[in-house]
Amino acid sequence: MEALAALFPAENYTLLAFIVLLPLLGAIVNGVFGKRLGREAVTLMGLSVIFVSFVLSVVTFLLLREAQHEHAARFFWHGWDWATLSTQQRGSTRIGVNLSVDALSGTMALVVTGVGFLIHLYSSKYMEEDPGFYRFFAYLNLFIFSMLVLILGDSLPILFVGWEGVGLCSYLLIGFWFHEEKNASAGKKAFITNRIGDFGLLCAMGLLIYFTGALDWKGISLGANNLLQPVPIWPLGHHFPFYEQLGSLGAILNTKVYVSAATLVGIALFIGCAGKSAQLPLYVWLPDAMAGPTPVSALIHAATMVTAGVYLVCRLSFVFVLSPAAMFIVAVIGALTALFAAIIAFAQNDIKKVLAYSTVSQLGYMFLGVGVGAFAAGFFHVLTHAFFKACLFLGAGSVIHAMHARIHDTDASQDMRNMGGLKKYLPYTFWTFAISWAAIVGFPLTSGFFSKDEILFKAFTSTIASPTAGGVMSTPDGEMKLFLWPTWAGTALYAIGLTTAVFTAFYMTRLFIGTFFGEFKGWKIVKNYQAAHGHDDHHHHHHETGPLEGPKPHESPWQMWVPLAILAALAAFTGFLNAPLFHLEIFEHWLHPVFHAAAEHVKPIEGAEGFMHPFVGLAVTAFAVGVGGAYWVYVMQKGEPAKRFTEAAPGFHSLVVDKFRVDELYDEVVIGSVDSLADISVSGDKWVVDGILARFTAAVVTGTGAVLRFLQTGVVHVYATFMVIGLLWLGWFLITPRAEARTATDAAAGSYSVSAAPGLGYKYRWDANGDGQWDSEEFNDTTEVNFKLDVEQSRKVRLEVKNAFGRTNSAEFVLERPKRDASGASPVTLDVRQQPDGSLKAVPRGAGSAQGVKP
Amino acid sequence: MNLLGSVVEHYVAIASVIFTLGAVGFLIRRNSLVQLMCVELMLNAVNLALVAFNRQHQDNMNGQMFAFFIIAVAAAEAAVGLAIVLAFYRLRSSVFSDEADKLKH
Repeated sequence: MEALAALFPAENYTLLAFIVLLPLLGAIVNGVFGKRLGREAVTLMGLSVIFVSFVLSVVTFLLLREAQHEHAARFFWHGWDWATLSTQQRGSTRIGVNLSVDALSGTMALVVTGVGFLIHLYSSKYMEEDPGFYRFFAYLNLFIFSMLVLILGDSLPILFVGWEGVGLCSYLLIGFWFHEEKNASAGKKAFITNRIGDFGLLCAMGLLIYFTGALDWKGISLGANNLLQPVPIWPLGHHFPFYEQLGSLGAILNTKVYVSAATLVGIALFIGCAGKSAQLPLYVWLPDAMAGPTPVSALIHAATMVTAGVYLVCRLSFVFVLSPAAMFIVAVIGALTALFAAIIAFAQNDIKKVLAYSTVSQLGYMFLGVGVGAFAAGFFHVLTHAFFKACLFLGAGSVIHAMHARIHDTDASQDMRNMGGLKKYLPYTFWTFAISWAAIVGFPLTSGFFSKDEILFKAFTSTIASPTAGGVMSTPDGEMKLFLWPTWAGTALYAIGLTTAVFTAFYMTRLFIGTFFGEFKGWKIVKNYQAAHGHDDHHHHHHETGPLEGPKPHESPWQMWVPLAILAALAAFTGFLNAPLFHLEIFEHWLHPVFHAAAEHVKPIEGAEGFMHPFVGLAVTAFAVGVGGAYWVYVMQKGEPAKRFTEAAPGFHSLVVDKFRVDELYDEVVIGSVDSLADISVSGDKWVVDGILARFTAAVVTGTGAVLRFLQTGVVHVYATFMVIGLLWLGWFLITPRAEARTATDAAAGSYSVSAAPGLGYKYRWDANGDGQWDSEEFNDTTEVNFKLDVEQSRKVRLEVKNAFGRTNSAEFVLERPKRDASGASPVTLDVRQQPDGSLKAVPRGAGSAQGVKP
Repeated sequence: MNLLGSVVEHYVAIASVIFTLGAVGFLIRRNSLVQLMCVELMLNAVNLALVAFNRQHQDNMNGQMFAFFIIAVAAAEAAVGLAIVLAFYRLRSSVFSDEADKLKH
């Protein structure tokens, strides 16, 4: 360990570069050569780079643990300079391609590479038959690379590179089977929805560099106090336009509104997080993202990428806590998303859709946690959720894999109504699914129980203290009251969270029962089943020929159930890393140095400790009510109450089945308005660009052509005539002599010259002295004459030219030397004069003669 | 040399007459073969003028050199021109240049 620490010092921790770049190497090799390498080589490449990356992450983690005692340990790797920005606060700020790792990012890197490796292993079998096998692994490796850049980047711009990279990989993998329109458009939807969030993140970067003068974590934390200043957000500009004419309405419209800079930054950052982590109102892409292969759903859309938003809030916790308003928004949006998605999950029958809404709901929990200032608890849920949700998704993938034996339609193979009774056919899948189900529903002592319980407890007991004394901030227009958390906030958030816990337990149990218990409904199981129609029966519609027959659903190979077993074990036991109930707070202590600065702003309510044990009771009750309710409805009553409920409230039921028609609302409002904007642009293109610019230009050319066409007779003689006319003109031009000359003047010195233009066989004679007589009667080769003139003297110079044909031509040039003080382009002589105050100044000669110094 | 030098104007006058004959013939005759011959006339008029001028400026041989170039060009031009005439005759069964109006518009 010490040898390693000496080899990789904290300030030049090169291992980081290896951790990040190895997956990139895998992506390049698999992407470029994958088609020729074959399946085994692609698997080896894809898996080994991630595994080495994982091992290096473990080493980094251990080194961090050695280094971290009281103070936060942080290892850096400095790449190269990327850009230099000039800022108000600190002059110029250099943005470098730097990586760093601390307790938070070290833990996250472990999850990404560890869970990532397990899912790579799983995919090597799950995607075995796919012709795009190499492409899949290239994307998957590229995703791990981008995710590591996101986590290990030392500044927001580097994080943003990773942020966009994972978005790209998500797009590529959702639309992996892009032959189907549905999958391709789901990818686009994810990408575009994320763009909205990314816009918020970009705004946050701009605000941060404006107010704090830095974009790297250390720089932001040093300048964070600058965020405690008011920012005028209304009216835009100095005052509302025409407010004086609008009377009292104008006075209202012209009221100055201030917001603290921290709130602006917090909200802008959270918009980015809401996009990436699928929170209200930008969650709509995540359920559709299930169009991608199931391992992708497990890795990207459950375990890692979607938690990037939570990671960012944790990373910039010291910025968020400066604004109770932003924290309140985070907590409330998180709680509402958790509840909203849980309700939708009730009515879904697609096994992956249920898990998708459950993911949205659990992400809401995480944001509830970090929103109330329980950063460690929120991040702990990221960790446990990564294990149990990845396990659930991979389990679902294993089930779908089994269903694909006879049902090849994507939707039908994922429909719970076709499953049931799989317990006895898929034992490994069943037991691992059962363990992770226990974790997500909060079965006591599982990881989900501890992490969810901690979040709910903190939601009730924590509030964010005012960042300024007395909760006021002074603005140019007097004091502004900051938003402070209302006293009912804790109770309300807790109530929503607990309700969601009951709902989660209910719908997850419904999923669990529907999939693994009861009778198998997929097809009629026939002993010693032989594929009767051979291979081409894949293309038949089985439903047309009576009930479908098939073999027993088969368990998946070891490459698929071993990751499931590992993840299930982690889902079962990681809870003890952070179980305040048993005074185990390893995880919280580990992250304490990271959240130390933020924790100062989080104040627990009085007597918080006393609520711990009653709340554990409530959490267990919530679990029992949810699971018991689902057991009663779906096992004891065979689903009768659910049917009766549907009949009693058909409107509400169809609303939930249709996911509250949020997609339709967005279609009408957002996409509709974009469409109208596109229509307006189209008509602009049609009339302005096509009509005026293109058609008018074309008409001018056509008209000119129509006129010129009359010259194009097609008769060779006419063309020849034009040629002869041209030749005659050229001949005449050559025969005529031209007396042309250029004069050069230097008025200040009084020297002038006249130089004649050359020509074919030209001879010249001059009258340079202006006496009216030729200087010499003979023509000669003198092309230039020079002479001097006095002030205000003028001279008439004559020139006669004779060409080779003996023809002559003459010209006269009158040259005059102006007065000395004439302004113009002539060179100016400068005088140095003494000014009245004693200084010396250069002035043009002849100008300002009031000084009385004439040359 | 003096004899020749004093009459260079005559050579130039003859060349001008031949050139004008060629130019006018090229313009007014419709038979492309005759037109080609007129082109030859024009070129040879230029050759004559060049050689005559070269007698006046005997310090270099530029004029005669150009005359040789023009003879070479004229040979090439005649070959190409006759080929065009042949192709045109195959197309139209005629050698009258005013019938070559396919290029119109």
